[in-house]
Amino acid sequence: MKTKRTASLLGMVAAGALVLSACGSDNNTPTDTGSSGGAAAPTNTANVECGGKTALTAEGSSAQKGAMEAFVAAYRQKCNDQQLSYTPSGSGAGVKQFTGGIVDIGGSDSALSASKGEVEAAAQRCQSNPAWNLPLVFGPIAIAYKIDGVTDLTLTPEVTAKIFSGAVTKWNDPAIAGINSGATLPDKAITVIYRGDESGTTDNFQKYLKAAAKDAWTKDAGKVFNGGVGQGANGSAGVADALSAGDGTIGYVEWSYAQDANLSTAKIDSGSGAVELNAESAGKAIDAAEVKGEGNDLALDLDALYASNTPGAYPLVLATYEIVCSKGYDADTAKAVKAFLTVAATDGQASLVDAGYVPLPNEFQSKLLTAIGAIS
Amino acid sequence: MSTATDLDRPAAAPAFQQVSTNRKTRNRIATGLVWTAFTAALLPLVWLLITVLARGFEYVLTADWWQKSFAGLTSRQFGGGVYHAIVGTLLQGLICAIIAVPIAILVAIYLVEYGKNSRLASAVTFTVDILSGVPSIVAALFIYALWVTTLGMPRSAFAVSLALVLLMIPVVVRTTEELLKIVPDELREAAYALGIPKWKTIVKIVIPTALSGIITGISLAIARVMGETAPVLILVGYNSFINYDPFAGSMASLPLLMNSERLTTNDVGEARVWGAAVTLILIITLFNLLGSLISRATSLKTK
Repeated sequence: MKTKRTASLLGMVAAGALVLSACGSDNNTPTDTGSSGGAAAPTNTANVECGGKTALTAEGSSAQKGAMEAFVAAYRQKCNDQQLSYTPSGSGAGVKQFTGGIVDIGGSDSALSASKGEVEAAAQRCQSNPAWNLPLVFGPIAIAYKIDGVTDLTLTPEVTAKIFSGAVTKWNDPAIAGINSGATLPDKAITVIYRGDESGTTDNFQKYLKAAAKDAWTKDAGKVFNGGVGQGANGSAGVADALSAGDGTIGYVEWSYAQDANLSTAKIDSGSGAVELNAESAGKAIDAAEVKGEGNDLALDLDALYASNTPGAYPLVLATYEIVCSKGYDADTAKAVKAFLTVAATDGQASLVDAGYVPLPNEFQSKLLTAIGAIS
Repeated sequence: MSTATDLDRPAAAPAFQQVSTNRKTRNRIATGLVWTAFTAALLPLVWLLITVLARGFEYVLTADWWQKSFAGLTSRQFGGGVYHAIVGTLLQGLICAIIAVPIAILVAIYLVEYGKNSRLASAVTFTVDILSGVPSIVAALFIYALWVTTLGMPRSAFAVSLALVLLMIPVVVRTTEELLKIVPDELREAAYALGIPKWKTIVKIVIPTALSGIITGISLAIARVMGETAPVLILVGYNSFINYDPFAGSMASLPLLMNSERLTTNDVGEARVWGAAVTLILIITLFNLLGSLISRATSLKTK
């Protein structure tokens, strides 16, 4: 009796162990990569020195989630099974986890802020070496909307500012109808959807309105939405959900999320004709971005870009920074961080268009590679 | 003049020949309420199961789903599987069980066999009661404060297991305590009468008698902690590849995978979330079945 019981127990444990140890595999071959098009990505495949820590960690902005996935895929391909895990918990969390020394790379939609003490905290985490902001991902912000029967909408920065500050409340308002001749806009209330949590996307969107709409946007920029109208939604995914669930809704969300949720995106007319959002028009705009950081710190000044009215350029774009230590990693981590960033800046850029982002301009790419090479 | 006596007729008419309409109505109302409550309780449950299965079952049917991870796939590519998350869920549950079960069983033995009505025992019972009321987020934050902030250890799957230990111990202590209590005192007394020491009585007589119930309790507790979400959200990062090392790096688990793929708003994200939900339900069902199977195998044969 007793032996029988023990035997059956042992059998079950053995069966469990067998199930557990059945070979799993990380080896995936993607089935479809969607259509490609738009601007040609810089494709120079750099010599990558693989090695170091096998699993890097990174955390931060949800705006660059899709881009990071593409980078990780390229990194695995290039550097045989080296890994990086990215937690898209928001820019604020990314900076905190980086300065706390919990993750190797931070991701943020805004560069480290000196006034908030982030620069200092980051330097402390890097053993008294400065941390660098490397703008590795450029993604357009879409002004996405959902109105039954309307799939073609043009907005000017002024009208956008009026909608998002509550001055225009109906879809058939003369201000909107004036720039959309030919379209039949319904007599419906406009429901503005904004990011309820603190977000780099909100920050960039409001900076854009401030720079481009001038007098029409009287509110401040910042990570909190200051428009004073509409409904808040949590995270980019939440905004996309809220937009597609309603009727007569409008909101700002990263292009990749608008694509995933099949939302219509508005064209922007900055004074030189309506420009549709696509990889080409956004790529054209980011050529105007200026570096304001010193040396290898590539923090950007996007105000000039936001205020520009280059024909055929879509100016509402956002740069996501990878925040890394210039020095102060241990040798293993430094090697892997360099390898990952190099792959991301070169091979990784090729698949960005499919993921809803814009590849780096060539000039930027060489600056980035210099900075990455200087990490030690 | 004689009257024939009907022997079959009761001498007095039965007191309750007719149930009054009032009572009938009340009976009907009560029955109706019970059935309504039953349906109200069952309906969401069945609805939930049907929804999850209808939306997610198709994805778990491929072999890849059980053998591969999402490594190297972007959130717009179908394919891959949740092996990495299954490994994480089982590993975290297993480590938690290895730590929690011995502690919990010993505590229960102390409470029933040694403590009885001592002051320490009632203090322990009180603490266990409080612990069982602690929300999982509090347990998670406590471990974060202790393990990550104070001790400076990295976030890891092991930290998750520690938080799960806090949630598992009270459940196992409670069930084990109840089961040890119902072991008849006659068994213990018979053992003592034969001159068997107390510890041996506990090990050889009391625990084997209650064993099948204890195992059921443990398997229910494991199933419960495996579905916990708060600790994994706080104490470990998600990653899309397989990590067998509980002490270093991020490790996926099924609840964490669902939470992070929820941010993927396209069809691929939907497939992954619903698929993972079905997988988690299947695994927990399996654990419950395994628990009752083991308890049947270990139950004492009477006679």
